[in-house]
Amino acid sequence: MQAYKLQVKIFAVPSTGPTPSLETFIPVLHRWIKDHVLRELMIDVANYAHVPDGPGVVLIGHGSDTFIDETGGRRGVMHSRKREAPAPEERLGDAFRRALHAAMLLETEPALAGTVRFSPNEFLFRINDRLLAPNTDQTFAAMKAELDTLAARMFEGPYELGRVGDAKSLFSVKLVSPAPSTLATLLSRLGGPPAASQAAPVPK
Amino acid sequence: MSGARTWKEELGPEIPEAWGREIDIFETQIELRKKGKIEEKLFAETRLRRGAYGQRYDNGQRHDGQTTQTLVYPSAENTKGPMTLWDAPGMHRIKIPFGALTADQLDVLSELAEEYSDRILHVTTRQDIQLHFVHIDDTPDLMRRLAATGITTREACGNTVRNVTACPMAGVCQTQAFDVTPYANAITFFLLGHDDTQNFGRKFKVAFSGCKDNPCGLTNFHDMGLIARTRVENGEVRRGFELYVGGGLGAVPQNAQLFDDFLREEEMLPIAQAMSRVFARLGEKTNRAKARLKFLVKKLGLEEFKRLVLEERAALRPDPRWTAFLTNLHVTDEEPVRRPGKLPPGPYPDGFERWRASNVIPQRQAGYVMAVLTLPLGDLTSDQGRALAEIARRFSGDAIRTTADQNMMLRWVSEADLPALYTALRGAALASAGAGTITDITACPGTDTCKLGISSSRALAAELGRQLVDTGLGDDPQARGLHIKASGCFNACGQHHVADIGFLGVSRNVNGRRVPHFQLVVGGQWTNNGGSYGLAIGAVPSKRVPEVVKRLTARYSAEKQDGEGFSAFVNRIGKKSIRALVEEMQVLPSYDQDRSFYSDWGDPREYTIDDMGVGECAGEVVPIVEMGLAASEREIFEAQILVDEGNPSGAVKRAYSAMLEAARSLTREKSPNLSSDPDEVVAEFRKHFYDTQLFFDPYAGGKFAQYFFRVHEEHQNAQTPEAVHQLIEEATLFVDAAHQCYARLGSALGAPAVSPLAAASPPSP
Repeated sequence: MQAYKLQVKIFAVPSTGPTPSLETFIPVLHRWIKDHVLRELMIDVANYAHVPDGPGVVLIGHGSDTFIDETGGRRGVMHSRKREAPAPEERLGDAFRRALHAAMLLETEPALAGTVRFSPNEFLFRINDRLLAPNTDQTFAAMKAELDTLAARMFEGPYELGRVGDAKSLFSVKLVSPAPSTLATLLSRLGGPPAASQAAPVPK
Repeated sequence: MSGARTWKEELGPEIPEAWGREIDIFETQIELRKKGKIEEKLFAETRLRRGAYGQRYDNGQRHDGQTTQTLVYPSAENTKGPMTLWDAPGMHRIKIPFGALTADQLDVLSELAEEYSDRILHVTTRQDIQLHFVHIDDTPDLMRRLAATGITTREACGNTVRNVTACPMAGVCQTQAFDVTPYANAITFFLLGHDDTQNFGRKFKVAFSGCKDNPCGLTNFHDMGLIARTRVENGEVRRGFELYVGGGLGAVPQNAQLFDDFLREEEMLPIAQAMSRVFARLGEKTNRAKARLKFLVKKLGLEEFKRLVLEERAALRPDPRWTAFLTNLHVTDEEPVRRPGKLPPGPYPDGFERWRASNVIPQRQAGYVMAVLTLPLGDLTSDQGRALAEIARRFSGDAIRTTADQNMMLRWVSEADLPALYTALRGAALASAGAGTITDITACPGTDTCKLGISSSRALAAELGRQLVDTGLGDDPQARGLHIKASGCFNACGQHHVADIGFLGVSRNVNGRRVPHFQLVVGGQWTNNGGSYGLAIGAVPSKRVPEVVKRLTARYSAEKQDGEGFSAFVNRIGKKSIRALVEEMQVLPSYDQDRSFYSDWGDPREYTIDDMGVGECAGEVVPIVEMGLAASEREIFEAQILVDEGNPSGAVKRAYSAMLEAARSLTREKSPNLSSDPDEVVAEFRKHFYDTQLFFDPYAGGKFAQYFFRVHEEHQNAQTPEAVHQLIEEATLFVDAAHQCYARLGSALGAPAVSPLAAASPPSP
């Protein structure tokens, strides 16, 4: 894969209790920067809670961003690679591992007190590069084998892949599996938490 | 998946040739800077002139609330300016002349926000679009994609003519004298890259208004403000402008002064050019705090400034562009896509009438209206941008404008379509009511992203907006028309001086700790083109600002007299009583009692001003000679690349161009009217530098200049690889000699006491 600006969104499970506001995540993400919780260089927190159905709250990094994303009216955590890409054969797995890792960290974040849960059954994969990966059937055909390999490994059961969005959208694929699982299991099948990037400070 | 294509290849012919060349040059400059072959100050000004601006934490230091941590970027050794690390994300400012956008441009801007930024398009108070968290390496492709849709970021920052702004209602406004759009367009492209605008000590801002009384053009606080007016002469209606000069906000706000009560339309461009030359020649270059035009006008006095400008005007070499644009003043006209109509009878969608009351303005053209899109904090997402582009195609065509109060506007909407438009906008979450009311708060980026920010103006504005809506002030008939504006520091990018209630970020020591505050500024005038400025009353802790606003507006609502504006109300009740309110709010609980006061809105970290950096608003003052010599070096580097690519004829042309540029850079200091005609450059260079022996090397005499003359006379006729190689060597020597000449002559050629190039590596392409 030549494109490296990959995005993986994991959707939040609707809460039975009150849904935490986007602002609730801001101190959490500031602490992640302070304590080097993610294995990459993180720089700042951008708050777009005032914009409906938008990027939400963004943990801005050097190599990647992590969004508490509300695009399309559905909250989720999204990993978005910008630079510092792993080797081509590792890129897809790395993106999913980082998204799963961030989701698990949020689920167990003390300040969120268990109010946030993510689905292990539904993922949105995107390539943030219209030049190398327009949202076409051709791109889907070129990516399908790699996505199939990853999905088979991650779910160890049935799954469905489907291209979504229109011609102006980023290349987008919905990945759904009905098999019962957990984030931890999926992450384990992909090799566990991601490796530290080049520009990763030591976690506290 | 597609192969390894590039945007340069993909967009090739769609990019205007000159713009494509400029971007290629910038990309080369990036590579040269990475190799240490361009000095960092020079590169900083270069990137600023391409719109690439610094951002908070780009010095690699960030306070985490307890201590300052170092952000260790991969290329930690490389910088893109003084104290500005290469890998640190930056802001990219995109000039949108007079705020006019097409649907296709909005689509592209949305794509860029998604692919290079954080999916947010931010509308600024000067009608630009800004993208944040952009890596410098991504900027050439970003610029190419913009150029292919007719947008250049050239001179968006730095010591240049910034975005030319204009009333967003120009052309469709009920009260305009005439449509200022084609004039704003003409001055934009006349001054863009003009030789006479390249040597300023600070930025230069131009604004147009179609009428005098309304605020839309805000001409009162611009370096050059033009208000349309007509005059009957010999039975003929003549167009012209009331021209104001030397206005500005910032730490020392100045009202613009009347330069000419009727500047004829054909004199607009030559006077702008003459004013640029006077500003470049006499404006302050050392003390950045005193370098804006307003200080020069004040120092000289209006009459002397005017005399100098008119004298300069008289000496200008005539330029056909001065009047060429007048032959086609319809070049900026917009084509409606729908027929005019009347509002159909109801019932209407929920919220429609409320939205229509605040966000819809009738046009001067019957049956058409303008629809304002209230953008919270000036932000819209990529998805909203694309949705809006589709909505525009359906209802208004390419008639989108950004506004100075950080909103957007669709023009040429048929009144018959308003309910359908409202429904479509609501689907994109763009149908918020309250445009231009107390809840539609303007704010600069402040501490969110700005290196100079002291307090969080954006987070304050978001919180204020939320609380004012919750308390129903947006519906209070007395208070709803008030304007609130917030700036994160005294530089006043939030234009707080012209708000009814303005705030500027400051910090105060309370109980031994830093506490974020905002200075309360009341009584500014938004009408009459930002006609007068408010006065500071006192500093209020950030967390108490909403309470101050609520109390102030409640009092205004209860006590205002018929027809009394806020400014008059403030004068009547006296600032002392407002001061008493401020003083009451200044008493804070101790840190141990309530820590919330010791953090700013939207940021849980304990407040500090340690993250403030060195601003880049002022750019770097790099003498124009040095810019030219640096360009020459870059062209020699490119000539070598062209040789490597098997393009000897291109290499020869580029090497010759390098010599020409070096000669012209020096010669312009002696001959300010020098054109770019090669014969004229050679003749003037010969006269001022060869015949006088100023260019002579102490050992080689005039040899290097003779290289230049020979190449010029032989029309760059190098045939063999050896000849091409020799020509590039000679060009290298000539450019180096130009550097030496500049170093010898020093201040006589505009060099500062310590030249940015003095510390640079020797030219070694």
